[in-house]
Amino acid sequence: MHFFQKMKNSLIIASILLCTQASISDYISKADIEKFLPAFKSTFENFNEEDLSNVYYGAKGFTLLSQPLPANAGDACKHLQKFFKDDSNTEIIFHSLASWSLINCNKILNTKLHKDTTLKALKTILEKQESTTGDIRYALESLSILSEPVPNAIKIVQLLQAQLKEDDTLPSGAGQFATQYVEDVVVQADEVDGRIMQWEGGLTLTSLLLTGLLRLPETKPLTQVQAEKFATYLLTRKTVQNAKGVVCLLEAAFALAKSNVSPVSITFVDFAQNLLSLHLHPVIAQSATRTTDDVVVLSKQPLTAGATPTEFILPLLLDPGHYRLDWVTQTGTSAPRLTKLQHPSKLTSNLQADSSHHLILRFSLSRPVQQPFLRLSSGKREIIFVAELDSSKAYKIDVNLANELSYSAQFDLELILGDSIMSNPLRWSFGSIDVALASQELAEQQAKRGPRPEIVHMFRPAEKRPPHVVSMLFTGLAASPILLLLILWIKVGINFKNFSFAALPFHIGLGGIFALFICFWLKLDMFTTCAWLIPIGGFTFLAGHHILSKLAKQKK
Amino acid sequence: MNFIIYLIFSILSVVNASGNTLVLLDNQVIRETHSIFFKLLQDAGYQLTFKIADDSTLHLSKYGEYLYDNLIIFAPSVEEFGGSLNVDAITQFIDEGGNVFVAGSSATGDILRELASECGFEVDEEGAFVIDHLNYDVSDNGQHTKIVVPSEFLIDAPIIVGERKAIAPLLYRGTGILADPENPLVLPILTADSTAYSYIPEQQIKEYPHAVGKNTVLIAGLQARNNARIVFSGSLDFFSDDYFTSSVQKGEQGDKVPVSGNQKVALSIADWVFKQRGQLRVRSVKHHKQGEKVPPQAYTIMDQIVYSIEVDILESGEWKPFNTNDIQLEFVRIDPFIRTTLTRKVPGKYEAIFKIPDVYGVYQLNVDYDRVGYTRLYSSTQVSVRPLQHTQYERFIPSAYPYYISAFSMMFGVFLFSFVFLHYKDEPTTKTKGD
Repeated sequence: MHFFQKMKNSLIIASILLCTQASISDYISKADIEKFLPAFKSTFENFNEEDLSNVYYGAKGFTLLSQPLPANAGDACKHLQKFFKDDSNTEIIFHSLASWSLINCNKILNTKLHKDTTLKALKTILEKQESTTGDIRYALESLSILSEPVPNAIKIVQLLQAQLKEDDTLPSGAGQFATQYVEDVVVQADEVDGRIMQWEGGLTLTSLLLTGLLRLPETKPLTQVQAEKFATYLLTRKTVQNAKGVVCLLEAAFALAKSNVSPVSITFVDFAQNLLSLHLHPVIAQSATRTTDDVVVLSKQPLTAGATPTEFILPLLLDPGHYRLDWVTQTGTSAPRLTKLQHPSKLTSNLQADSSHHLILRFSLSRPVQQPFLRLSSGKREIIFVAELDSSKAYKIDVNLANELSYSAQFDLELILGDSIMSNPLRWSFGSIDVALASQELAEQQAKRGPRPEIVHMFRPAEKRPPHVVSMLFTGLAASPILLLLILWIKVGINFKNFSFAALPFHIGLGGIFALFICFWLKLDMFTTCAWLIPIGGFTFLAGHHILSKLAKQKK
Repeated sequence: MNFIIYLIFSILSVVNASGNTLVLLDNQVIRETHSIFFKLLQDAGYQLTFKIADDSTLHLSKYGEYLYDNLIIFAPSVEEFGGSLNVDAITQFIDEGGNVFVAGSSATGDILRELASECGFEVDEEGAFVIDHLNYDVSDNGQHTKIVVPSEFLIDAPIIVGERKAIAPLLYRGTGILADPENPLVLPILTADSTAYSYIPEQQIKEYPHAVGKNTVLIAGLQARNNARIVFSGSLDFFSDDYFTSSVQKGEQGDKVPVSGNQKVALSIADWVFKQRGQLRVRSVKHHKQGEKVPPQAYTIMDQIVYSIEVDILESGEWKPFNTNDIQLEFVRIDPFIRTTLTRKVPGKYEAIFKIPDVYGVYQLNVDYDRVGYTRLYSSTQVSVRPLQHTQYERFIPSAYPYYISAFSMMFGVFLFSFVFLHYKDEPTTKTKGD
């Protein structure tokens, strides 16, 4: 049986993010905010009888983003008025009251939402023994919205303490009040692969606890590192769609940004001009410390706004050296390069990346598939990555280029999508990426089999010899003494009148020795030469002895 | 005394073409579903003995002698072999030169996994199929596990699989195999396309699949250092009558090929694994100085040397001259000094003429021919090379003339002086001075 589902019209939107690894690698951009707004708007459009909270989240969202409320805010007020009941749970009462004041319904409709019964109901909750900490919190906040005094504050505190002793689970939402529990709460946060921190329970809880913790006066609940990890978590959740999630995200982000541990990410440092530009919200340079001797050379200097609204410039007129700069700012940013693609288009230019980059691919499909693969290939080699489905039903692949790739090359990017019930599996080559890593292209592994490169032996080159003229000149010089001797002898006149044939054997012997030496030079080896020399030498010795003794006798 | 030692390591034993082959089956049905394959083997001269894999009378050897040359295991789901057969016995059989041909499936049992890992492969987990959503046969059951593999994904070694271009697309249904790419002995005979992966078809991908893309090996081969050959296929269906005879059509729109290439490839692989293909031997090695006939006791540096080797290949049971053009000779003294390609003079006879380096010592003339699919051919001959003798140096060097003249003029002078000294007679009127 074949199951085919037509997916021809399914749009595949893939976005490729290249971001630099900084302290936090992302920020809530204008584009993100624009994405949030429709979620808020929808809360004002589709009213749900039961769900007054939604209106609150919409209104809160607009307020947080300092955006004007939509024109139909009045409808929301009417809706609130219509469905507001005193006996709803405290959370809904709080939400309704808060929306009322946020939208300013008092002015629009010229009435009040709450009645005296409402106040009474809230006050009873505060006094009841069995109220949960959550109820107490909502009741208190509601009262503060209505600017009503809180009755019997001491009793409430006692009540709370009792509640906390009983119930130290996190979702009680009591983080705001539990100063002494701060450390416990932070410890309970989960750390995910050393990069992200969150509380089990998702965005809502994390946001609630984070806001609560940071609202506590005179404590420093989080370290800088923890703050950065929480910020990273919040930024990963940027894609939430519903109004509640967005509000939670924004509240936590604002709380974190306002706190003294606000994460910072420096994007651009231009030392050539001694100017430091940061893409940040209002920035103050807390201090600049020379790392060599810890001298503080600069403190509490605000940065002047640069050309773009998010750029701030601080002229640094410092002596050359390494400085440690501390910053205070509201939100840290590092602009990722983002490209959006729609099937079957291709990237117009190659992506450029180096070892500090991540290649992030996000794409959404109309339904999940079994085979969401990204293939990076260069030549015959290929590396395949499997996309993971995140909570917002989008596929995501995050490739740490430095870890996954071992050599520089141009890699072709290809998306392979397949499933057994998909009639048109997709193999979409959408561009390529130039990766420049420290290590160059791996030398082609030497073939394990097959012909190997030939080797030719390099013979020692012949030694250089002097020119012939020189050697002939010295030959002449070496020959000159014997020639001179002959010439002089002929000049003075020599005779051999004492010659007798008895001397002939000696001369033959001596001549023989010299002739043997010439043969030795020409072709004989040492052994043959010695073998010949012994008889010839002996003979010459005897002959010489004979002739000398004869000459001696003659002289007598 | 003869300083030359010949060392020839190559298979010289004559291989019996009618190899005794033991075929182990899961059940007798496999014998019928794979009847074409077995028939082809019998026609090619193999003597097949069929046994059920857990038959209690199984023995590979008797009285220390192996009863079979080859072993076929077409029993993917076997849990335990019968008789004296087990993984150790099969490993020992391989160590002693036996050939093993194994076909698994997605339900490959532990004992075959163990055997595979002994041979350097790893079989994907139970239940996993090779899935390719882009290259599946039209007769696939909907899970895209009956995949179509174009013949270009066969290993580029005609000696193992035949000419790739002439082979029709192949059908495959089974599990994926992982082969260590660093292992030089393992040969990926058939690999999958980039779009394939090995996973359990019904499950969503949670973990990275063990075999993805071109790393998915479908049929893996191994030629051990003792030239024993092993083939491990992840698919038993690959060799079935059904796949041998069925047509191939990739997807709904693909071109229809009347008959798959499975039969051709299966037979080629079987011939290779049972050593009917790609067996080489050295018939003779000769070397001598150029212009001479017999090798000298020792060569002198910078001699011209002639080396020739004859190589045979086993083809249909007979040794015939082996023709190629990439046999290389190395002249080695610890490191190779010269590596040169031998030229073929007559079929099967290769020759190299080269000048011995100007460094003396004990050298080896090595031929190491190791190519994919062929048995390794290794021949090593030791020769000694000595320096120039006293008489072999250059005699008349122009720049040395002053030395020659000095020496000879001195000798001549002494000779002459001896005459003058002995036979000169003083005359009263003149005086002579000798020098």
